[in-house]
Amino acid sequence: MLALLKLLQALVKALHSEGTPGQVAAGMALGAALGLTPLINVHNVLIFALILVLNVSFGGAMLGWLFFTPFGFMLDPLFDVIGRKLLLESPSLTPLWTAWYNTPGAPYTNFNNTVVLGSFVSWMLLALPIFILARIGVTRYRETIGERVRQSKFYKAITASKAYNMYRLFRPE
Amino acid sequence: MRVRLVRWSGLLPLLGFFVLLGIGWLLFGDFIVEQTSEEASTELLGTQVDVASLHIRETQSAVDIGGLEIADPFNPMRNLIEARGIRLALEPEPLLEKKLVIRHLSLDDLRFGTARRKAARPVKGGGFAPQTLRALNEWREQFDVPLLSLTPIDTIKAIVLDPSQLSTVSAAEALRTRADSTKQALETQWAAIDITGVVDSANAIAKRLEGVTTTQLGLDGTRRAVADVQRAIALVDGTEKQVKGLADGVQRGVSGLAAGVASVNEARQRDYAFVRGLMKLPSLEGPAIGGALFGQVSIDRFQRAVYWAELAQKYLPPGLKPQSQSGPKRLRMDGTTVRFPLEKHWPPFLLQAGDLSFSLASGVAKGSYALEVRNVTTTPALLGRPTTFTASRSAPGTSLPLIDVRGLLDHTRATPRDQVRAALARVPLPAFDLPGLPFRVEPGQGSMRFDFTLVGRDVDARWNIRSTEVHWPVDSSRARTLTDMESLVGRVLEGLGTLEVEARLIGPLAHPRLSVRSNLDDAVAARLRSLLGEAVAAGERMARAKVDSVVNAQVQPVLAQVGTITAEAERRVPAAQGQLDQVKALLEDRLKTLTVGLGGQFKLPGLP
Repeated sequence: MLALLKLLQALVKALHSEGTPGQVAAGMALGAALGLTPLINVHNVLIFALILVLNVSFGGAMLGWLFFTPFGFMLDPLFDVIGRKLLLESPSLTPLWTAWYNTPGAPYTNFNNTVVLGSFVSWMLLALPIFILARIGVTRYRETIGERVRQSKFYKAITASKAYNMYRLFRPE
Repeated sequence: MRVRLVRWSGLLPLLGFFVLLGIGWLLFGDFIVEQTSEEASTELLGTQVDVASLHIRETQSAVDIGGLEIADPFNPMRNLIEARGIRLALEPEPLLEKKLVIRHLSLDDLRFGTARRKAARPVKGGGFAPQTLRALNEWREQFDVPLLSLTPIDTIKAIVLDPSQLSTVSAAEALRTRADSTKQALETQWAAIDITGVVDSANAIAKRLEGVTTTQLGLDGTRRAVADVQRAIALVDGTEKQVKGLADGVQRGVSGLAAGVASVNEARQRDYAFVRGLMKLPSLEGPAIGGALFGQVSIDRFQRAVYWAELAQKYLPPGLKPQSQSGPKRLRMDGTTVRFPLEKHWPPFLLQAGDLSFSLASGVAKGSYALEVRNVTTTPALLGRPTTFTASRSAPGTSLPLIDVRGLLDHTRATPRDQVRAALARVPLPAFDLPGLPFRVEPGQGSMRFDFTLVGRDVDARWNIRSTEVHWPVDSSRARTLTDMESLVGRVLEGLGTLEVEARLIGPLAHPRLSVRSNLDDAVAARLRSLLGEAVAAGERMARAKVDSVVNAQVQPVLAQVGTITAEAERRVPAAQGQLDQVKALLEDRLKTLTVGLGGQFKLPGLP
């Protein structure tokens, strides 16, 4: 429950004062990887490390994760097709996959799974559009209804929680 | 304001995250690997695999498995293998490439065929193993092993046959269609050849030149006459070629019709057998009795071997092509995981050596055991050596049981070759029921031999059991009042203290041929024949009459039609050829007469 509350606080704050729209959008683009690709994979550990270490909005990343998770489930059949095309139906790429598969460490990324590869490649292609759209969206939000939300009792109740302080550790500088 | 790229304060929680991951691995790593291994091996083998405990020894690159149970896919209440402890010594370097190379495998307290406390769960889903299991259950249906029917003859019911049940009717219909089209084709070809016109025209020329000399015709007239005769001969030659072509067509058509007649006759034999089955007439032939008594139990043995051979061919494929398999189970879609083997690299899985030897000091299984397995790998082409396994028990100089099992899975070449030879002597053979009869076979101690070879998709397998202390108790769970014939069979069995069964499965794996012989066949057949021979013969006559009464009305006209077409075709061709030969000879004679007068100015056709 506490974790959920913290997450909610992070999301709400992310949309308001924490960080520039660019930082929030970058966080969302990175968080989209957690939602679009199967979570328990080595590449997501790297993404998570980037979210923590890069000066992006942690709340934005969580928002991106939450927002894109349902899309990940929905688009799995498409990711499977993309992965299959790349892994099995592109003979020119076979030497590359063969080399990676026999490189220490690389197979632990599960790149040789159709859904993992298909979703990861899709995320790579979508990351920039997600960043641009999120940046525009956050800017518009802050210019329009952002201030009204900030004055609402809901927002004040959320941000008043002590658990929120934990989140401040990861706020953008 | 310039935004910094890196948030150094994030390193601390990142470190915390990795520490948590490490603690999580220490606490739950063994459990996660145990669960994953259970799931993966269950799906891989198509039968429930239970692992009681698993401990990873990271510092020694070894894994200890406690309490392994692999359920028998064909008997959920039995374990195929049960081992108290397994130790896997792993090669550390391939682990970096997520490859499992087992340097050495050792087992403690290995047991086979133990009873399970709880029935194994059937493996569902679309994995290869469950699919194979389902396919094999359908595969065994193809073996037509009728039960030894001992229904009293006087209870045979009157059979009412529906023509659509009989394959002769459809075969006759197919033959009729074929006969029609053959007749039509021959008529069309015949109509295209104007034999009468050619013969008449040639005769007219011959008649015109009859008795005419070159002197009468003059040089020009003779030249024209010779040209006319040569054209007529060429026309006759062309027509002869057409007739020859027609003769070939006639031959093909007649052969086709003869094959059709043969298939009608075969269908009739099948229908006789079908009606015999409906009438539940007992077979009095030795091979049929062997199949009826021991067919099912033989198929059981072969089916198991085929199942494991199919899994071996799937999981140990030849060549170095990318290998696909279902991805790991997760909330998200599993997808497909592809392996990309590369020469001079480790295969994804390799068991270099597995050894087990132990002794049992007492009991029927007393003796020294030795199990050995070598080179089990998912990519045999990388290793270049076949998988081999042996299991043996020796107790020389004693009357203790002997076991010798040897297997070789050679998938290093394009055509895989799997071979298993098992020879067991002085072992307690498992009891089984006689299908359709309330008797059980308790072979007691005896010998068993099983040879199985699968080369590509061709199988050649033999199963042989021999016992000299067999018993035939009435099965209490299926006990009922025996019919006269069952009592007779029971008496025959009682008198037999020896059992010898030999079953053979040979041919393409999809549709192999099964044959079963036993020492009971002739004994049971002779006694049944003496008691039932006359009644069965009468029943068979009745079955034939039943079939004939239904199919004759449709078959006879078709056979007559085929006879007419064949006779007509065979009559016409020689007649036409005769006419053409005759007229050609006449023309050649005229030509000879004409060219003699011209001093060899014209060359006779056909002469050098």
